[in-house]
Amino acid sequence: MSRKLLINLVIIVVLAAVLIILPIALNNVYWTSILVIMGVNILLVSSLRTIKLVGHISLGHVGFSLIGAYGSALLVMKLGLSFWAAIFLGGLMAAVVALALAYPFLKVKGIYFALLTLLTAETFRLIVWYWPSLTGGFWGLLKIPSPNPIPIPLIGTINFANINNYYYLTAFIVSLSLFVLYRLERSHLGFKWIAIQDTEVLAQSVGINVKWHKMLNFAIACFFAGIAGALYAHYQHSLSPDATSRFGVLMSIYLVVYMVVGGESKFAGPIIGTVVLTVISEFGRALGEYQPMMIGAIAVFVMLLMPEGLIGLPNRGKLLYRKLLNQTQRMRRS
Amino acid sequence: MALLEIHNLSKRFGGLTAVSELDLDVGQGEIFGLIGPNGAGKTTVLNMVGGTFFPTRGKIIFKDEDITRFPPYRRARRGITRVFQRDVLFRSLTVLENVLAGLYMSSSTGFTEIFFKRLSIHGQEKALYEKAVEILQFVKLDQLADEMAINLPHGNQRALCLAIALATQAQLLLLDEPLTGMNQEEIKAMMHMIRTLRDEKGITSVVVEHNMRAVVGLCDRAAVLDYGRKIAEGSPKEVVNNPAVIEAYLGKEDDAV
Repeated sequence: MSRKLLINLVIIVVLAAVLIILPIALNNVYWTSILVIMGVNILLVSSLRTIKLVGHISLGHVGFSLIGAYGSALLVMKLGLSFWAAIFLGGLMAAVVALALAYPFLKVKGIYFALLTLLTAETFRLIVWYWPSLTGGFWGLLKIPSPNPIPIPLIGTINFANINNYYYLTAFIVSLSLFVLYRLERSHLGFKWIAIQDTEVLAQSVGINVKWHKMLNFAIACFFAGIAGALYAHYQHSLSPDATSRFGVLMSIYLVVYMVVGGESKFAGPIIGTVVLTVISEFGRALGEYQPMMIGAIAVFVMLLMPEGLIGLPNRGKLLYRKLLNQTQRMRRS
Repeated sequence: MALLEIHNLSKRFGGLTAVSELDLDVGQGEIFGLIGPNGAGKTTVLNMVGGTFFPTRGKIIFKDEDITRFPPYRRARRGITRVFQRDVLFRSLTVLENVLAGLYMSSSTGFTEIFFKRLSIHGQEKALYEKAVEILQFVKLDQLADEMAINLPHGNQRALCLAIALATQAQLLLLDEPLTGMNQEEIKAMMHMIRTLRDEKGITSVVVEHNMRAVVGLCDRAAVLDYGRKIAEGSPKEVVNNPAVIEAYLGKEDDAV
């Protein structure tokens, strides 16, 4: 047990070190900006997987991310709130809307739930589009300020207009959020979610309030979608409700693809999926408009050959190795 | 004072009356059999007591509290637990985790408590774990604690169903055909367990069963349903020899011609 703990500790320290060194080592504004977006996407996909724990697939995660993004940006711009309060309130807004919608939505399952959430996200996007007096409409919301600088004695102020500093901020908030999501999954609450996904009637009959736990699950996941949206807004300094923006249908589908390719059975799946696909699609930029096709091809490839996703690869490798070993032994014998 | 009282209970599905004006009292510590031919409405009664659906008319009272319109999870917290007919288990969990699932429900109260307990106090976790092992020992599944629940043979799965129900600290077990599809030994073991639970922990059971011989051997009292109506009630032996019951099962003597 203590050895396992030690290994985990080493892994965490190494990961933290890599996260800290990465922008310095890269020393490239473009790649650092990719890392920031990647962090935002990791949080989105991981929280999407949280919904999957109770057995639902949401295609409307970008909609709640949009609420967080516009909510946080408008709170800062119109009400003069500090970024730190606004990002939290942005997430909270998404969670409250999610909780209210969850009640009617969770009456349905499977593809119907996916469709409802998809249409909801589109509705949110169109509300923003047709409400220019508040949101800037289709011109977009511009000049969203960076987070307020934090003065730190001795070192000086940390200014988040600097991309490396924003990267560290993102890394911190995303890591913290992932930690919370992980702990939730490992808590009694997460246990109940898995029980609900497994056998709803039995979950009911052992005393789980299935409906409430599903609503809570949806609200928590959407809270983190909102946080991710807010992180994006203050980084990009502008938001657009365009169909091709981050809040369009395509992005919803990308998020599911990231999750499926990474593998949804383990917590690390969405993280791996997002990192791998982001890096691949960056190197595939030369393909221009054919880039989504490449992602699609990879998704099909992974789904057909590795139903468990990339996260199942080590296990598969082990099995394959054993199979080969057996075969060679049999050949030697005969 | 009866533990469970059913007053004038009726359930209609569209035009079909599944249960009609049923009155039943189940006393504390009783093993009560609910028998009858196929389609007599036994499982419907169990569903209404368990909360799967609500009656069209009538009242269900548990420990002097009207629970007619309670959802299943609230009944479970009051001490009514359903043991399902098919092998309804948490399929992706191990045997031990299945029992833990039942235990978590009775141990946790609120959201904050659930979230922070696991973070800080490992002692409580250990206590639950020990309790789960104890329950598994009772149903003789402790050797299989780390198996996946779906990989167990049928008889053991039924025993696990019972273990999950025990973990919720049930006072009233609703057993839906607990002996179906079991071999003689498994039947004996299951009957022994139900009786031991009554004797040692005072757990009351309502058993829906086809197997007449098992009912006679197991139950203290039984009621017979036919077409949704109660046609007999009393000790199992009385009930089985009741002419109305024999008629319901085998038809009238004249019919035989």
